[in-house]
Amino acid sequence: MFQFDFLSLIFIALIILGFIPNFFYTLGYLPHIQRKSYFLIHYFAFVLSMIGIVISNNALVFLFFWELMSLTSWKLILTEANNEKSTLSAARFYFFMTHFGFVFLLLFFLIISDGNFELTFAQMSETASSFAYPTLLFFFLIFGFLSKAGAVPLHVWLPYAHPEAPSPVSALMSGIMLKIAIYGLFRFLFDVLYPWQLEWGVLILVIGSISSLVGVLYALSEHDIKALLANHSIENIGIILIGFGMGMIFDSLGFRTLSTFSFIAALFHIFNHMSFKSLLFMGAGSVLYQTKTKNIEKYGALIKSMPITAWTFLLASISISALPPSNGFISEWMTFQALLGSQNIADMSLKLAIPFAVFSLALTSGLAIACFVKAFGITFLGLHRSENAKHAKEVNGLMNFGMVLMALVVVSLMMFAPFYIYYFDQALLSLGKESVYGKIFVDGIFTLHSAGENGGVVSPVLLLGALIGITSLLIGVYKLLNIKTRIYRTWACGNRTASNTQYSATGFTGPIRRFFYWLYKPDESIKKDNIFGYETKFSTAEYKMHVTPLFEQSLYLAPAKAINIISFWIYKLAHFEKTRYVAMIFNLLLMVLFSYRNFVYEFSWATLILESIVMIISVKILVIGEK
Amino acid sequence: MIYYIFSIIFLLSIAPLLLGFIKSIQMLLFYKKMVSIFQPYRNFAKLLKKEVVISQESSSITKIAPFLVLSPLVLIVFFLPPIFGNAFYVSFMDAFTITGLIALSTFFLMLLGLDSGNSFGGMGSSREAFISALVEPAMILNMFSISMMAGDLDIAKAGVNLSSHFPVEHMSSFIFAGLSFFILLLTETGRIPVDNPQTHLELTMIHEAMILDISGFYLLLIEMAASVKFVIFASLFASLFMPIGLELSPIFALLVFIAKLFIIAIAVALIETNMAKLRLFKVPNLLGVAIVFAFLSLITFYVLEA
Repeated sequence: MFQFDFLSLIFIALIILGFIPNFFYTLGYLPHIQRKSYFLIHYFAFVLSMIGIVISNNALVFLFFWELMSLTSWKLILTEANNEKSTLSAARFYFFMTHFGFVFLLLFFLIISDGNFELTFAQMSETASSFAYPTLLFFFLIFGFLSKAGAVPLHVWLPYAHPEAPSPVSALMSGIMLKIAIYGLFRFLFDVLYPWQLEWGVLILVIGSISSLVGVLYALSEHDIKALLANHSIENIGIILIGFGMGMIFDSLGFRTLSTFSFIAALFHIFNHMSFKSLLFMGAGSVLYQTKTKNIEKYGALIKSMPITAWTFLLASISISALPPSNGFISEWMTFQALLGSQNIADMSLKLAIPFAVFSLALTSGLAIACFVKAFGITFLGLHRSENAKHAKEVNGLMNFGMVLMALVVVSLMMFAPFYIYYFDQALLSLGKESVYGKIFVDGIFTLHSAGENGGVVSPVLLLGALIGITSLLIGVYKLLNIKTRIYRTWACGNRTASNTQYSATGFTGPIRRFFYWLYKPDESIKKDNIFGYETKFSTAEYKMHVTPLFEQSLYLAPAKAINIISFWIYKLAHFEKTRYVAMIFNLLLMVLFSYRNFVYEFSWATLILESIVMIISVKILVIGEK
Repeated sequence: MIYYIFSIIFLLSIAPLLLGFIKSIQMLLFYKKMVSIFQPYRNFAKLLKKEVVISQESSSITKIAPFLVLSPLVLIVFFLPPIFGNAFYVSFMDAFTITGLIALSTFFLMLLGLDSGNSFGGMGSSREAFISALVEPAMILNMFSISMMAGDLDIAKAGVNLSSHFPVEHMSSFIFAGLSFFILLLTETGRIPVDNPQTHLELTMIHEAMILDISGFYLLLIEMAASVKFVIFASLFASLFMPIGLELSPIFALLVFIAKLFIIAIAVALIETNMAKLRLFKVPNLLGVAIVFAFLSLITFYVLEA
């Protein structure tokens, strides 16, 4: 029923590392929540269900905890629903998407367990290997787990669900729950569906590359700080999947060391994303708690009133932007090295395709920097943009303690990377992969080597030490020179600097939005109060912009619209043109009979043609009529 | 080891000279009276004496960001390819690390621009964020390609490998990478056609807009960062794309290296005088060219092995 192998323990460690700081933060956040017992019951059930998933060893227990996790997180989104329509619809959307994935998981288990849900995962692999269509099983897994993890194109619920949940829950959901879905991929791909086909890895790599770009691009266009962070979760899941996909590709091509290296990169990024994304959501939650708004345009100058929140948010921003020597940098560096290991692949088309993944990873990290300069700069720097921001104070001690604790987790992932990598390596070793710990740390634990031939080398601790050293040297010189410093007004184009002279978040991303106009297709509206009918002179102007994600437009809203049109047509037919409706049913019946005869029972061209003619005549006379 | 320390000090001290040299070449080409090539040093000395005025709207970010703008760039200088043959060098930096360190410096520069609440600062940061996001993929692909030709992902080692046995058979992909890198050099160091370091005009400023509020010692740090960034890119170009002269005796190797740096400076000055600044929204086209060249270089390397 339960198992405690290395992989499970790694993920239990992930949950515990994410949960403890979150718990203190939640205690501080609790006065903000009206339905306290409702919240706490679901909160603990949510955490326990996640632990249950990672230790379960048969389909029944796994599905039970999986469903419990989905339902409790759904209820947690509804915690602060004061009959707000947006919360209700976000929760409904989340409920629908999570059960969409559940159906596929159920199908997967029904096939591989042969109906016996109490088989252990190891026993399932026998059924799976005798099953004729393993790719079908793979697709079930992809739909089942990636709809939870939030990879493109099943990511649309994330930017709706995360902002509506209370902030500690967003931190848990984004930090841990998405990773539990990745755990599912690890568990079932390694234990059940082991000999992988090359195309599977390529598919995951493609999904990862697209997710990372799509996530960061839509994050840039957001004004809601929590939706921005939710979009970044999509990006980071993409980066994890790039590492995972490379691992699968290398494994099916027989590069065993590179394969383990890539999987370690993915696992390490799972931990890193948990740490910095939880911290960011906590910071966003604190800001939200004080200013009572999620709109980033209403913040500003919060670093003066909320220093602890601001500095921990800055640490997490540096880490998520993959700036050296942060922990996010180390895992993205490893992912990047894994991609560069592709130079040894013999298959030319694959070899030429992988630089595109390098390109998308690089562009992603470039855009992530832009996005977090916006998120940090507009929120914490400058002047107050609204009254709400003016009256913000530092949050209470428990919340601060939670954030500082999570910041320590971030720092520990950076400082003790070799320690974490050792356990990731052991976990993969227990799953039958080759150990690469010795190859990564060839000369001591201070330098990371790539496992590929002629790979790169990086030493995060040395970079950190050197950066601190050089910076303190410069500060020392500054202090030594004893330069006179004055705090005074600086030149602001002849005006006084005021909150409305600053750049807004919308303005900040203006150039990027304009460059990706073909993707965003924003709904823009400009309102101007012109003076004396002059086009160019106005007293006030307001520019509004909203971006509907392309995937939502094409994959969710358009089919919904189409289904609406079809059902309306059928409704009209069934209620007002009953004869035609009956005639259609008759024709449908005829078609089923004919096609059964032809395609299943006995095939002959003569009957096919004859029956088609009969069908056409019948449709013409009965359905279309004399038009 | 002594050569290693010498080359770091040499690079850091020659950095302002190169910018002064570009400026005086430009003056010459404009038929104006040449400024001294030592003008940047004089500016630095002047800034050192001035008092620091900090904007009253700004926060503690302004007090630490200037230091963090300069220090990652100084750190890069420690990891550059060696100037002298058989000299000690640190092989800790591949394409992702170098772009990361440059981005760390840019990150704090952009925060500095947003800190004082000045509209110019925000404008500069916004533009810089846009351009540096697009520079990153070109830079990484380019570095990837050149380090594969050299047979090592580490940049310092790649520089040594290229000079010890130059890959003549990969000449075409080498040239593609070189073209792409030169565009990046112009972009990252903020020269015309991407940014004009001399202007203070609202429509065209990028780098200068972010630092309008900064004065005195802080401005000195940022100006130094700009010059160090130029010397980093110039010396990378010199070591990776003009890999000659490393095997000579130290004095000659140094002379050859200085000559290479000045050749690059002259090329930049010539481009600056002969081209107009591009509109901001045309810059992605230029960077697109850089990205395409980087891809072409990789593809020719893989497919044609040429």
